[in-house]
Amino acid sequence: MNHKEMEKKLRREARALLEQGKVGYIIGFEAGSLKFTTTPLITSDTGDISRLVVNPFIANNLSVYLAGVKGRVGIVVKGCDSRSIVSLLQDNKIAREDIVILGVPCSGLIDLGKVEELVGKERDELDDIARDGDRVVVTDNGNNSEFPIHEVLYDNCLGCEFPTPQEYDILLGEPTLPAGDRYQAVSLMKIKQLKDMPAQQRWEFWRNEFDRCIRCYACRNICPACFCQRCFVEESEPQWLLPVPRWQDNLMFQVIRNIHVAGRCTDCGGCERACPVNIPLRSLTREMYGIIAELFHYKPGMDKDTAPFLAAYEATDTEDFVR
Amino acid sequence: MPDYEPKFLALCCNWCSYAGADLAGVSRVQMPPGFRVIRVMCSSRVKPEWIIRALMSGLDGVLVLGCHPGDCHYQTGNYYARRRMAITKRFLEYMGVEPQRVQLSWVSASEGQKFAQVITEVTKDIKGIGPNRLFTDESQRNGKETAP
Repeated sequence: MNHKEMEKKLRREARALLEQGKVGYIIGFEAGSLKFTTTPLITSDTGDISRLVVNPFIANNLSVYLAGVKGRVGIVVKGCDSRSIVSLLQDNKIAREDIVILGVPCSGLIDLGKVEELVGKERDELDDIARDGDRVVVTDNGNNSEFPIHEVLYDNCLGCEFPTPQEYDILLGEPTLPAGDRYQAVSLMKIKQLKDMPAQQRWEFWRNEFDRCIRCYACRNICPACFCQRCFVEESEPQWLLPVPRWQDNLMFQVIRNIHVAGRCTDCGGCERACPVNIPLRSLTREMYGIIAELFHYKPGMDKDTAPFLAAYEATDTEDFVR
Repeated sequence: MPDYEPKFLALCCNWCSYAGADLAGVSRVQMPPGFRVIRVMCSSRVKPEWIIRALMSGLDGVLVLGCHPGDCHYQTGNYYARRRMAITKRFLEYMGVEPQRVQLSWVSASEGQKFAQVITEVTKDIKGIGPNRLFTDESQRNGKETAP
């Protein structure tokens, strides 16, 4: 089912939910103010329903808003976002009966940055970007140029294991099959490059990256796994880090953030997209995801009835690293 | 640096490792003097924040000590600690921190000898990789050494 049909079905279902009073709010996407982009739409008004969209640019992980919206809500999610919801359910942050999940079987999000780089033009100058099977067609002044998806999708989408929502009430299209290992190498390329470096060079790399960080906390605010009422960075007794964006404190912030969201992060890639100074944050979150999968065979957000990763243990957990 | 003596934290759990350290002390077992003990109620009390803060403050390493699995005073504390330390250690290693700087071990109250042995080994490990310069700025790194 293509995006237009899913969009139609979404509008129909969302309208019915609001009119029947099954939900008080709908959290979805509408077209953003910049070309091709989308922005979250939170509404209780049926008049706004026609603004809802489904397209390959619905990047935000909307489950971040669930904690803030009171009452019953309908929410539009992709595969990764649905796992964030499951993870919030595991942590008892939300109640299942309070949310109606409108699942979008996702076929991957298009990275506008990659498109701009390939075409050599700003997004405003392009007429259309459309997905066509394994290719993406960019129309510019009537000329079509085609690119294979592994050149234009986000890195995390290329390695996506669960594109179809794990938890949903209404599925807006046919389930999408995961690409398997086909694009895994592209998806993990940056991490592999880092791992191939000697430790000292790796540290230098991150040191330089975090020199740029302005500590805007966009990565934290966009993240559904970062739900602490009071974040450790704002604690003053003890004061874990200086509010001054020194690279040392920036780096510590990100290391601790990654440990805090371990077992909750579903590799949605939201932090990296939110970063205003383009720090490759996904190279951190995805590695943590990988470590947990490798050592504990745990995948975040798969089963809402199991205990959260860091609040559980197995007597047989790895002991290899213990001296 | 021939006379370099690593300075590191030994976070000991109250019920096993701290008593183990005490036993090593009263038995006058010889071990390198570079470690500083902080007593915590359980190894699972150790926040990853502490470990990174310690490294940031210039300590050469952090050693977390707890009861043997199955012997925790609180039944399961050390199991949680084990999981947390596993990911912390691996993640820091990926960032570029030498794995020898963050260690976990089990020492029971009767293992004074083992306590001394673990301290000796960790000291040797850290000596092998040298002082912690991870968080020092370039200018300080080339200039004179700053005391933690």
